[in-house]
Amino acid sequence: MATQMTTVIGQSIPRLESDDKVTGRAEYIHTLRLPGMLHAKVFRSDIPHGHIKSIDTADAAAMPGVYGVYTGEDIKRVIPEPYYGPAFHDQPILALEKVRYVGEPIAVVLAEDPHVAEAAAQMIYAEYEELPAVYDEIEALDSEAIVHDELKPAGTFPDLKHLAGRRDTNIAIDYHLTRGDAPGAFDGAAHVFEHTFRTQQTMHTPMEPMATVAEQREGRLILHSGTQSPSFVRIEIARLLGWPENKVRVRVPFLGGGFGAKVYIKTEALAAALVLLSGHPVKYAQTMEEQFYTISKHPCTFRIKSGVAADGKVLARECEVWWNGGAYADIGPRVTQKSGFTAAGPYDIDNVKVDSYALYTNRPPAGALRGFGIPQLVWAYESHTDLIAKELGLDPLAFRRQNILKNGRPQAVGTELVDTEIDGVLEELGRRMNWSAPFEKGEGPIRRGRGIAVGFKASISPTTSVAIVNVNADGSVVVHCSTTDMGQGSDTVMAQIAAEVLDVPIETVIVVHPDTDVTPYDMSTLGSRSTYHMGHAVRLAATEARDKLAEMADELGLPEGSNVPVKEVFIRKFGMQAGNVVGTGSFKPPYQPTNHETGLSPNATPYWMIGATGVEISIDTETGHVTIDRMINVADLGTALNPEIVATQLSGAAVMQLGFTMTEDMIYDGGQVTNANLADYKIPGFFDIPVTMENAVVEAEQKSGPFGAKGVGESGTFGVSPAIANAVDNAVGVRISDMPLTPEKVFRAIRGAASQPLEEA
Amino acid sequence: MMPFEFAEPTTLTEAVELLDADDPTVRPLGGGTALMLMMKSGLFTPSVLVSLQKVEDNYREVCAGTGGSLSAGALAPLRALELSDAAPAVVRRTMKTLSNVRVRNVATIGGCLAHGDPHMDLPPVMTALGASVTTVGPGGTRTINVEDLYEGYYETVLASNELIAILEVPATAGVRAAYKKVTTRAADDWPALGVAVALTGEGLNVAEARVVVSAATEKPTRMKAAEELLMGADVTDDLLKQAGDAAVDEADLITDPQGSAAYKRELLRVTVGRAVRSALEVEAG
Amino acid sequence: MSTGKRTIEFTLNGRSVFADVAPHWNMVEMLQGVFGMTGARESCGQGLCGCCTVLVDGAAVTGCLQLATLSDGKSVETVEGLATDGELSPEQQAFIETGGFQCGYCTPGMLLMAKKLLDENPDPSDDDVRHYLSGNLCRCAAYPEIIAAVKRAGELRQE
Repeated sequence: MATQMTTVIGQSIPRLESDDKVTGRAEYIHTLRLPGMLHAKVFRSDIPHGHIKSIDTADAAAMPGVYGVYTGEDIKRVIPEPYYGPAFHDQPILALEKVRYVGEPIAVVLAEDPHVAEAAAQMIYAEYEELPAVYDEIEALDSEAIVHDELKPAGTFPDLKHLAGRRDTNIAIDYHLTRGDAPGAFDGAAHVFEHTFRTQQTMHTPMEPMATVAEQREGRLILHSGTQSPSFVRIEIARLLGWPENKVRVRVPFLGGGFGAKVYIKTEALAAALVLLSGHPVKYAQTMEEQFYTISKHPCTFRIKSGVAADGKVLARECEVWWNGGAYADIGPRVTQKSGFTAAGPYDIDNVKVDSYALYTNRPPAGALRGFGIPQLVWAYESHTDLIAKELGLDPLAFRRQNILKNGRPQAVGTELVDTEIDGVLEELGRRMNWSAPFEKGEGPIRRGRGIAVGFKASISPTTSVAIVNVNADGSVVVHCSTTDMGQGSDTVMAQIAAEVLDVPIETVIVVHPDTDVTPYDMSTLGSRSTYHMGHAVRLAATEARDKLAEMADELGLPEGSNVPVKEVFIRKFGMQAGNVVGTGSFKPPYQPTNHETGLSPNATPYWMIGATGVEISIDTETGHVTIDRMINVADLGTALNPEIVATQLSGAAVMQLGFTMTEDMIYDGGQVTNANLADYKIPGFFDIPVTMENAVVEAEQKSGPFGAKGVGESGTFGVSPAIANAVDNAVGVRISDMPLTPEKVFRAIRGAASQPLEEA
Repeated sequence: MMPFEFAEPTTLTEAVELLDADDPTVRPLGGGTALMLMMKSGLFTPSVLVSLQKVEDNYREVCAGTGGSLSAGALAPLRALELSDAAPAVVRRTMKTLSNVRVRNVATIGGCLAHGDPHMDLPPVMTALGASVTTVGPGGTRTINVEDLYEGYYETVLASNELIAILEVPATAGVRAAYKKVTTRAADDWPALGVAVALTGEGLNVAEARVVVSAATEKPTRMKAAEELLMGADVTDDLLKQAGDAAVDEADLITDPQGSAAYKRELLRVTVGRAVRSALEVEAG
Repeated sequence: MSTGKRTIEFTLNGRSVFADVAPHWNMVEMLQGVFGMTGARESCGQGLCGCCTVLVDGAAVTGCLQLATLSDGKSVETVEGLATDGELSPEQQAFIETGGFQCGYCTPGMLLMAKKLLDENPDPSDDDVRHYLSGNLCRCAAYPEIIAAVKRAGELRQE
């Protein structure tokens, strides 16, 4: 075996599955059909909160072609305790006794013809006793409307146990961090600033809507599902059924986008129950509209207060964050805590207080969406940063530079920064923006402005990834891992890592798609954790396989570093092309939980992800339209294992966040989302992207990461929203504190600032 | 969607006979884009769809009429207008940002005009150009100015068994025209406001003017006061401002997801002037 | 007239085929249900995303808003017909070369639109590409790479 590195690491290898994606062959669950399959169509609540008095399914059941109609009570026949959720077991598969949001599944029709199932679902009628509803996260704090009578933590997370049985509150979880003495430091500060910022509810809208096809064979349940969390789905479905893990198989081909929508249980539990109830394979494939009733991104209110010394040093910061989690907790409690501890921003502040609350409301559930709450926080703290700089007459870049958190210093949570180039990212952004040069702001109706923002994120911890690397007798390599490739290119990167360790051409490596029968445990594909965690697991597995091969060669008397091909080694060992060598790798980084009293931990995360964005914009002051003339995204992601994929992750994330910044907003009327479709909920298209866009990475190495790498999938989202709001302020002197920045909102702000406010209607 | 009967008449007259003035579940299908959307969302459940795709070929043709006019069969797809040298330049430009290529390949001129959705781009442009349609109904044919086609939100003067057969656009020699579409939620969206203008005159002088507002109003509406101001005058910034103000006074604007009426008033105030400036910049015809 | 299925005959990627279709089926349902072809796929269901794009008599149409029965006697092309004898078309090659996709769900629609644009305009500008593909959405936002891919495909077609 040759010893020279193939250095496939750092190469822009095209995605392994490229041919399948351009020929239409790539498999997605939304288009999967099985013989004898029934289609499930869901009847959903049309009230936001109430007791279910009755459900009339007779007309639907009588419709020709209908196989069966099922309600929550029917589900209990196969799953007696049909409540699921990663943090709280609070979500029923179909509503039981109560409905908690408009769009909540109440009943489901099965039919061979999806048109029949759909028409029959429209013939189901429910009667309710309506209850008061609450939609706003602040109102939920002391509303008479209580979404859940009692909290039901899942037990998965030890730090939630104390919440069990807590009653008459909409606060699902609260997280508090105290570092230094913030209240005391405010007293000694030359300046104190306080602002409140809000973000709206948005949806991931993966182009492939969520879907599961379930079937039953050999006494086992097989779920073909477009999920980001195959291992979790297996464990959770097995728990619901009271089965061992090995009686549930979860198979995942490609995902047509995920962005956090497809983590944990989404369509899987209902499909599983329906297979058991009907005895037939069942497909539950959502429409684009239904996705809006399934999961969303937390709206958030963030009150931020800073004490600043006369020289511009930030002395203290107090953050109160309220997350609107909707009717079911999903992964919101993790957002509250794991993102909560970064709420004070990437700055070196000695006195920090954070209070972060997850609230239940009568909206569709909120979960993780590309950033796990970080974009909501950066929106506030980086808008706040510019407001302070403006007030103190400081240059926004210089003010940030003065306070930026550097390696060797502890972040507010108490974890010291290592291999984290926040300052490097900021400087690179300033350099690319040519920040020190004069900037032409224009005259007449079109005004120009520029803005920057930098954000950071901790990795969700602690989590585990396991991988298997199998070297066949001809030297070809098979990587088994449960990381889901939803477009981020994980298959390709895992193959690169295996090829690098084994010193084989990338073409000889394949990656088996998640199939819990053959791919080992992985916490989930989320939070930009795969490159680091699964990357390590694959590296370890490949290393073990390589060592076993070396051992085999040694046994055969081959000199160390011999260039005898692997195939030849196997033939010498087994007398023919036979056998294989299997390496396994399991990776879980060190972690210390945050202290319940102080919220602090000396090791809260194995790495930090850094993303900064700068924009130059034009505003049509006569209409409020904002054009992004130039956008620059800079990130620290350690070493880029595949630079091309990294660059497109950055730009893709930034454009997604651009949509959340400028237009996307779930609009409500009495708890009903009125724009649950892409005609009225506008995501960015070809004409909405910045006129020019640059994506750059700083020279960096995450020494604890596989080949110096860490995650990147979310970093492009961090700085986008506040950079744009800061640029708007720079251009026309108005501050927008609630997203999105629609033309009307910008126009109204401009007119308000000119003391010519526009009437309401 | 549930099964329905599907009829494919081979003449327009036969199609009209298959329609039923009193049964709204019997509908004609041109390109089917808008109808399919309504059917998929459950807004419309047909008993019979009368496909117009096999009627006489002449209803699919777009050709130059006499003296520089344009004659377009109602079943011609919008894309035929976009690509026709005979179509006025403003029509071809408008087509470029009307929905997308796939829709323009399928959606028909007649369907677009008969749907009555005030957000559509073709009705204001055709109103500005003084176009008319010839319809076929059980009682024979009649000609209606596009300007008079609309009665309200999704309401037209057409009977449900009356079909648009031909669109006629008068000669546009000497006419300078523009259509300004303002979107507020994404670049590619239904407009919050549409303003079509058609002017005659030389240089900065306006002889005759038509100014039509759509999308923000319940139906495409001519802004007569703004037209009066423009006619016979030389265009100045001040005049355009007056015309914009006049339009704001005259138009009955509605609040919808694209924006509040108050905001649309301000959009209209500047867009009238922008549309006129834009028309003055283009070649006549 | 009846509400039952009828047999239509048309050309699918150059081959003559028959299909029994119900009057309310759309093109995507027919392609997936009758022919097992999954390249055209439904996403937004409203003709805005273009994931279901197919070509009918050479014109790009929205497959999920197109009644299958209207294919009778016509020529239908899908992404599955782009490659010939296993060799990828210039559009397909260019999308790989420039990284014009991430999750790949919208890719078949983008490819067919690219092909039609290049048929009509062999050397499109960035703006031409944006206009022609404006009815196709990519949530991964590979837009810059897609624009580059279409232009690159134009070059490959001329080589």
